[in-house]
Amino acid sequence: MKTLKRISRMHRIFIVQELKRMMEYKGDFIVGIIGFLFAQANNMLFLWLIFRQIPNLAGWSIKEILFIYGFSLIPKGIDHLFFDNLWAVGHFLVQKGDFDKYLTRPVNTLFHVMVEKLQIDALGELLVGIAMVCITLPSLTVEWSVQKILLAVLVIPFATLIYTGIKTITAAIAFWTKKSGNITYMFYMVNEFSKYPVKIYNSFVRNIITYIIPFAFTAYYPAEYILKGENPLFNIGVCVLISIVMMTLGIIVWNKGIRAYESAGS
Amino acid sequence: MTKKLRIYRAFLSAGMQEVSTYRVNWIFYMAGNVMACFVSYFIWKAVFLSGNNNSLNGFTMSQMIVYIFLMFLTSTMTSSGGTYDIGEEIRDGTIAMRMIKPISYNATFLFQELGNKIMTICLLIIPMVIGVEAVRYNFTGEVQFEITNFLIYVVSCVFAYLINFFFNISFGFIAFVIKYLWGANMMKNCIVGFLSGTVIPLSFLPSGLEKICLLLPFASLNYTPVMIYLGIYKGSTLLYYLGLQLFWVLVLWGLSKLIWKISTKHLTVQGG
Repeated sequence: MKTLKRISRMHRIFIVQELKRMMEYKGDFIVGIIGFLFAQANNMLFLWLIFRQIPNLAGWSIKEILFIYGFSLIPKGIDHLFFDNLWAVGHFLVQKGDFDKYLTRPVNTLFHVMVEKLQIDALGELLVGIAMVCITLPSLTVEWSVQKILLAVLVIPFATLIYTGIKTITAAIAFWTKKSGNITYMFYMVNEFSKYPVKIYNSFVRNIITYIIPFAFTAYYPAEYILKGENPLFNIGVCVLISIVMMTLGIIVWNKGIRAYESAGS
Repeated sequence: MTKKLRIYRAFLSAGMQEVSTYRVNWIFYMAGNVMACFVSYFIWKAVFLSGNNNSLNGFTMSQMIVYIFLMFLTSTMTSSGGTYDIGEEIRDGTIAMRMIKPISYNATFLFQELGNKIMTICLLIIPMVIGVEAVRYNFTGEVQFEITNFLIYVVSCVFAYLINFFFNISFGFIAFVIKYLWGANMMKNCIVGFLSGTVIPLSFLPSGLEKICLLLPFASLNYTPVMIYLGIYKGSTLLYYLGLQLFWVLVLWGLSKLIWKISTKHLTVQGG
């Protein structure tokens, strides 16, 4: 309990620090958010232009696809907002020897790296995601129940954990190889698959995004449950389970990596 | 002249070494991008299966698949990182180090990047072209590779690269105004990506918009080379689009010179 209190207090201090820095560069902050808004706008345009040609995509209407897409941005955006600093570990913190500073402090290294930075650009993603879900939902015929609403909200932190877990694992590889930023990048590209119904993929891809790099649980499966009410045990239950597995794996790999870490030293 | 070449050769080989030092990193980066191609591949497959037509806006399914993968190859070959590099140098002041040397600022960038490109092309172009042709063979039952189209495609890629290079150099000077280049660069990449057809073929746009896009320099970046490879542009159309590319090379070259002249006068290095 005491450690929890200490951690949350520290988290607050870090975030306040980060906000101060952001106020210094207000323009950048807006440019970053707009940048991510543009990226999402591109994908919207793509979907809109495609749906001018066809009535539905593998049985899914444009509104349903947009809902899945919007839903996928919410856990992604949350992870991006809070834990973006893991990217830096793989890209340059280890390679340049800057990682040493975390080892000298009386805080858990993983925790320190994660909370050090608040990536405000992510608001671009997060806002688009929330807006898309809010816009598409009223026009979709969804049967609501208390259970469904609870599960839909509950699944978001776990879906976020899948991102964070995978990012932790791939970032930790840098402790052995010095640089792993592009491994993280490659895994992140796999997550593009999860924004669309898994039915359109062949079984090879489907198995990978379900069981090996389980990004399908960050968007499509939960969305399937929300829209069609199918298989809550698999769509939500496995998501929760798998996210815990991923994060645990992440922590294990990270701790092993810390022990293997040799400073770049110059 | 030979002396000049010797100077710039150093930059060329520096660029090549950059790629070979971080080759594992490079491979993962490319693998990530190929993955993104496969996402589009599956989406388009589903699109063609969901619609009743054999062709959409002039594209058959096999042409669409070739389009996706060639778009990736072309945009990788014609990409240029000048914006970011220049912006960073303006920000941290290293630009001053380049300016005091008796060599052309733009040319050093050009050669360094060319070194980078040579490595990329060597590793990428053959497997991609073979892959793409295998797909076409699979769909149509005959080899459709045409050497003339391929050669004109390569020429068109060179033009495209030059357009991109000069455009990015010009854009890099936006660092005078916007300090956060990562965001600005992202915005630029999104707009250019869309207008150059990497998101969706321009023929899918409403026809008025398509006509405007085809005239802009961005269509020359990726769309024109790919259409040439596919054999959709031929005869006088082909000549027209190649001419348009050349026109944009010259215009953007002039523009980058002009911006360079104006901005070096206003350059104040922060703590340089």
